Amino acid sequence: MRFIKTVVFSIFVFPFLPSFGFAQNEVKIEREVGIKEKLVPSEASEWLYDAFEEAKKPNWFQEFSLNGYSYEAKFRLEGKYYSVEFDSLGKIEDVEIEMDFDELDDSVKKNLNQYFSDNYEVHKISKIQIQYTGEEDDLEDFFDENEKEGVTVRYEIEYRGKVSNKVDEIWEGTFGADGTFITKRKIEIRITDNLIF
Amino acid sequence: MRGFLFLGLLFLSISSVFGQDRQTFFTGFFPELSLTKKLENSNKLNFKVENQHVMYDNRIGDKLQFDHYRTDVMGFYDWKLTASTSAAIGLFHRFQDGADGNRIIQQYAFLNRLRSFQVGHRLRTDQTFTKGQNVEWRLRYRIASEIPLSGAKLDPGESYFLISSEPIFSLKGGSFNLENRLIFTLGKLYPKNQKLEYSIDYRTDGFFNNRFRTRLWPKIGYYYNF
Repeated sequence: MRFIKTVVFSIFVFPFLPSFGFAQNEVKIEREVGIKEKLVPSEASEWLYDAFEEAKKPNWFQEFSLNGYSYEAKFRLEGKYYSVEFDSLGKIEDVEIEMDFDELDDSVKKNLNQYFSDNYEVHKISKIQIQYTGEEDDLEDFFDENEKEGVTVRYEIEYRGKVSNKVDEIWEGTFGADGTFITKRKIEIRITDNLIF
Repeated sequence: MRGFLFLGLLFLSISSVFGQDRQTFFTGFFPELSLTKKLENSNKLNFKVENQHVMYDNRIGDKLQFDHYRTDVMGFYDWKLTASTSAAIGLFHRFQDGADGNRIIQQYAFLNRLRSFQVGHRLRTDQTFTKGQNVEWRLRYRIASEIPLSGAKLDPGESYFLISSEPIFSLKGGSFNLENRLIFTLGKLYPKNQKLEYSIDYRTDGFFNNRFRTRLWPKIGYYYNF
């Protein structure tokens, strides 16, 4: 067995060398890192538990971008996935809740369907999130007491869309409260060659 | 570091179990290189080399060796069907002492993007032509889950854990065989679409003809997409 141990040692130690080389050249543009709740600004965690008293064990993330960083809490409540974003000081920015297409109002569905049929030959929705933005107190009142004043509603929809004669792409579109299109951005899928070849 | 320790312990425990056994067992070194060129029409060209060197074979005894076992060179043309599905055909050549061979490969692959990880499915058929032997027909399906180790999605500079399993059904000269490949990987995504992976690749075959064989390969893989 001694030689097997030698092989293991050489194979699992020398890989650290190239890792070092690669790591020094890294340019990170955007990334999110899971963090413990105690490292999140107290303003953020306090707001979260005030607005969602039933929330249990949210997963906290710190998101880094070229503009700085922010915090995000993700948790499941009453069968739905919530994502709550805070700025770097812990001030609430928005709350997103996943929902099904069937749960949308008929007028919203109609406008969305109109947009997709006008712009794509083929489309498939993979994720819908209703997004609430507003001032800290307005958002808290909305989730505590269902008071809608000062709260803006939008939809973030991830979908596959194919324009004729082109390959289809994955998009994240933002739509207004009535389902009318506002903006979209293309979602780039990271290298998946290790899963394909 | 914990990931490497896990892979090292996994390797040691499997080799301890099978290294002493009477059934055929061998292990060695298995580097692989994959280069993918993205074409303007969104299709891809892939070139891949895999090299296997045997360092221990229990049929030879308790002796360290470094024998070339086989080198596989392959190329694929991959058509993007949708944003998450593709179909490819590939040509493959194997350099192996007394068993050089050629293979043609057809595959269909799709990707499931889930909330915090992604699952790749790959269905392949291939036909291998080796001089003096019957044609080998194979059907294989691989399922692979890639799980980011920090955050809900994989970003450059972050590591991931990947587990995959691939049953392979083969038919050669009227004889049916089944092989399974179970792979545990610790990888890292680097900027400019590069991935570096350290894996334990555990292969079992010969289930039906009393020639049960296990092969255990510590692998290092480099993927570059440009």
